[in-house]
Amino acid sequence: MSAEKKPDFHVVNHAVPRRDARVKVTGKAQYVADLKLIGMAYAKVLRSPYAHAKILSIDASRATAHPGVYCVVTGNDLEGLNPYYGHAVKDHPLLAIDKVRYAGEAVAAVVAVDERTAFEALELIDVKYEELNAVFTPQEAMAEDAPLLHEKQFEAGALRGFEGEVTAGKGSNICQKHHIKWGNVEEAFKNAAAVVEGDYYFPMTYAYAMEAYVAIADVTDQGVNIYSSAQHPFMVRHDLKSVFNLPVSKVRLIVPFVGGGYGSKSYTKIEPLVAACSWKAKRPVKLQLTVEEAMLTTRSDDAYTWMRTAVDANGKIIARQAKIFMNTGAYAENSPLVVEKSTNRCVGPYAIPNVLIENCSLYTNTVPASSYRGFGCAQVTLPGESQIDELAAKIGKDPYEFRLANAAKPGEEFFPGMRPFDGTLKQDLDTAARAIGWNTPLAKGHGRGVACSGSDAGAYPLTSTVVRVHADGSVTIMTGSTELGQGSHTVLPQIAAEELGVDFDKVNVVSSDTAITPYDRSTGASRTTTLMGSAVLEASREAIQQMVVMAADVLKVKVEDIQTVRGGVRCGEAQLNWSEVISKFYALPDGEVIGRSYIRKSGRFSALPVFWEAAATGVEISVDQETGKITMEKLATVGDVGLAINPALAEGQDIGAATMGMGIGLFEELIYEGSQLVNGSILDYRLPRFSDLPKEVELHLVQNQDGVGPYGAKGGGEASLNSMAANIANAVDRATGVRIRHAPLTPEKVWRALKDKNIQGSKV
Amino acid sequence: MMPLRRFAMHQPKSVAEASQMLAEFGEKGRLYAGGTELLLAMKHDLLRYEHLIDVKTIPGLNKIELKNGTLNIGGAATHRAIEHSPAVKENLPVLAQMENNVANVRVRASGTLGGNLCFAEPHSDPAALLLALGAKAHLQAKSVRRTVTIDKLITGSYETSLGADELLEGIEIPLAGKSQRAAYVKFQLKERPTLGLALVLDVDGDNIKKAKAVVGSVSPMPTESDKANGLLTGSRAQVEKQLLDAAGALAQAADPVDDLEGGADYKRHLIGVFLKRAFIKALA
Ligand SMILES: Cc1cc2nc3c(=O)[nH]c(=O)nc-3n(C[C@H](O)[C@H](O)[C@H](O)COP(=O)(O)OP(=O)(O)OC[C@H]3O[C@@H](n4cnc5c(N)ncnc54)[C@H](O)[C@@H]3O)c2cc1C
Repeated sequence: MSAEKKPDFHVVNHAVPRRDARVKVTGKAQYVADLKLIGMAYAKVLRSPYAHAKILSIDASRATAHPGVYCVVTGNDLEGLNPYYGHAVKDHPLLAIDKVRYAGEAVAAVVAVDERTAFEALELIDVKYEELNAVFTPQEAMAEDAPLLHEKQFEAGALRGFEGEVTAGKGSNICQKHHIKWGNVEEAFKNAAAVVEGDYYFPMTYAYAMEAYVAIADVTDQGVNIYSSAQHPFMVRHDLKSVFNLPVSKVRLIVPFVGGGYGSKSYTKIEPLVAACSWKAKRPVKLQLTVEEAMLTTRSDDAYTWMRTAVDANGKIIARQAKIFMNTGAYAENSPLVVEKSTNRCVGPYAIPNVLIENCSLYTNTVPASSYRGFGCAQVTLPGESQIDELAAKIGKDPYEFRLANAAKPGEEFFPGMRPFDGTLKQDLDTAARAIGWNTPLAKGHGRGVACSGSDAGAYPLTSTVVRVHADGSVTIMTGSTELGQGSHTVLPQIAAEELGVDFDKVNVVSSDTAITPYDRSTGASRTTTLMGSAVLEASREAIQQMVVMAADVLKVKVEDIQTVRGGVRCGEAQLNWSEVISKFYALPDGEVIGRSYIRKSGRFSALPVFWEAAATGVEISVDQETGKITMEKLATVGDVGLAINPALAEGQDIGAATMGMGIGLFEELIYEGSQLVNGSILDYRLPRFSDLPKEVELHLVQNQDGVGPYGAKGGGEASLNSMAANIANAVDRATGVRIRHAPLTPEKVWRALKDKNIQGSKV
Repeated sequence: MMPLRRFAMHQPKSVAEASQMLAEFGEKGRLYAGGTELLLAMKHDLLRYEHLIDVKTIPGLNKIELKNGTLNIGGAATHRAIEHSPAVKENLPVLAQMENNVANVRVRASGTLGGNLCFAEPHSDPAALLLALGAKAHLQAKSVRRTVTIDKLITGSYETSLGADELLEGIEIPLAGKSQRAAYVKFQLKERPTLGLALVLDVDGDNIKKAKAVVGSVSPMPTESDKANGLLTGSRAQVEKQLLDAAGALAQAADPVDDLEGGADYKRHLIGVFLKRAFIKALA
């Protein structure tokens, strides 16, 4: 259910069917797993059984002698490479060197004629370890006598994504620290009419994608060629360039379809390892991880948050303070940026005059944490949006009214120094509330919640593209944005088709090949439609400008006399479409015009964030008071997307994100017992299923054309996740009177909370 | 999950031949039906076998039939076949309904009842219900046959009394008359049940003459308690009052363990909740 169609658009703002639907559902779409190079070998990885241990020796001789094995690669074989990588902090060896830092870390790789042979040889590798003390939580990592995970000093990565210092590698287990501060929180809390305060926990979660990590590397004297399931090919290129000490022109990343990312495919993962395998084996090598191995590769940062929020006598939020400790696991990956983002996102989309947020992430001997859909926002929106409801309850206000009264207003600079707010939260919240029948009577045991979030999204604005208009009037877009299911390969041609006035079906997309497609920083932070969309729009217009000049040449008139019309030009009686302009210009029915665009942090993109990603969700749940089980009764998503280039795709992103957020609210959690991840498989790690969704689902879009992107568009696709866990916790409180501050709200946890309440209740 | 290690597949034509193969391969061989347990465990490298003996090639081992007032289900019948069998749906709807809720449709389509029971994974729906229904298992080694009750077949977590060369040929379930009321209810969040509760009652008007309650999945084996069964007999009104005590007795017998599915106290509590639900459902 989208807002009314804006009448003037031909292609954009229409729900054209997604480009890749047919090939994907018929199994014809090619993923890296489907690719095979001539002479290709296969790698399998030996993983550490220990969380923290010195590697005393590795004897790979028996494995190397195993029939069918080409070679074994260990941390001792990397001379000649710069084996430590990381776009934020170069702390991650491509294979463990001298020590292991988490159970599951890659210690050696076998390269063989096929996967099974490589696997068989793994157990022939003899590794001797000396176990070290290990830490698993931020609290343990901060202790005086905590063992140090990283002894080295680190270089800060040039592409870390933020301007602040990197804290890692300074003789403690601190990976990154960040804080924001304005006003005077102490004073404000002293003068507050009411304050709520609490400790919250956001669990370790896994961004499950159907496709686990897979890459093929072919390292030769000519350079490094890699096919990978990577979201950000250019970021990976940067890491590989440094591992192999090559110019970027000699590193080529090719990304075909990606089978889902949700954050887990952002930045470099297995590419340096598979490249090192190819380098040593002197042939192309494929490494395909299993889901269980992928779960040992990345996860979300779990977060311990203490937060307090205050209101004045008029119900205006006057202060928020939080201290956050994040568990970043064994390597920094993208967590330094997660720290910065979660710090910012603690403020929520509220105008709060006094703010102090301190955030610190710590290295622990667990799976490295990194990007996760929503990017630090989900971690802090659990406390943030919980406290809005807690505070409303405390002062006897309707939580929805309370939100409306405090939400940032359109154009308000609610976050000092950042872009003024470019969404319409009142409309978002109204729409969500109406969709779930906020004011209608509630059945017994049911509860409702409406919550919202606003994140500083879009990442760094550096994006370029080429739009080629061919002599037959068809068009090729060259884009570094990766299609990972979000629909970019449908949305981008919609924009080109709109601008150039050509049929949508005639616009093709070539993407994510760093040797061919122009630079795009990343496909994340909900930025593609806004940034790459703008680039495609501008490149299309630049092509049109060139074709106007060509048309003047062809028609032997002045450029000023040429008038553009949809799909071509006119000059007096004469009318030419693009095909005619190009063919006549070259005097041959072939050739092309190349439109270009570079977007950088300037002009309308000079203010950061690129846009505020805003959304509201509404839920109604019921609680089985005997078992503690929560059932979703209603769900509404409201994406504040400026303009939906493709409404169906925008809604699809919202329901996907909300479902993922629901998973965190209800049952998703990676569990460590001692040093081992004990539910590291999808048999034991409970993912959301279709049957978990309520029967009543409403998807709404708010389209006020208030974004900086094409036609007023701005990004979506993450925001509906952020508020879901808090929303569920708030609804449970309304249904049962118990406040649960630790996600997920599993049946057992809810049952225990109800039991405690009843015990306390009977004592009174 | 890893690539499967190399193994040879064998296709016996009779139970005796399969048994012969088991004897011949010893520790290196294992029976293989739907593979939903076995291949998963092999892909996780938890089990290794060089020889798999496919019971699906044995003629007749998947049949489902009524015989002399009993329902007979072959060891290689799939969950899905049982779920959709007219004989089962008509004569023992509680079994069809339980099967309908085992796993997901893909697992039900290849997974067999025999594989479920003989793997003896503690979170088994069929084991609990079949124990409550008084089912018997027919076992065969070469030419020697024996029959045991379910509690004598499943002896522990992943443990059975099957001999090294023995197969489960089939399950025989007595069909009680019109006086039988049965229900199976379960609590499940993940892939396996947290708790399953089977209740089989023999009623005469408002009087419950006989009762059998079995709780599964909370401990290594499905459990019943004579004391609980006693408390579940008598007039309906009286039994209703005794439900909590019966649940307490059952919980004591089951002695649930703390694990990823939940704390022992939570599971003890759930036994009470689900015994009540099973009772209401059985008598509905
Ligand atoms: C995702 C998933 C969800 C599940 N959910 C549930 C659930 O909700 N409830 C539930 O009860 N179960 C559940 N299961 C278990 C499922 O019921 C079993 O996997 C299935 O029934 C096993 O049958 P199979 O034919 O695949 O056995 P196989 O994997 O082929 O064999 C299992 C074992 O039984 C032995 N075996 C097989 N046939 C015979 C025979 N005739 N005689 C002697 N030994 C034999 C084999 O040697 C092997 O050791 C689930 C399984 C999965 C994978």
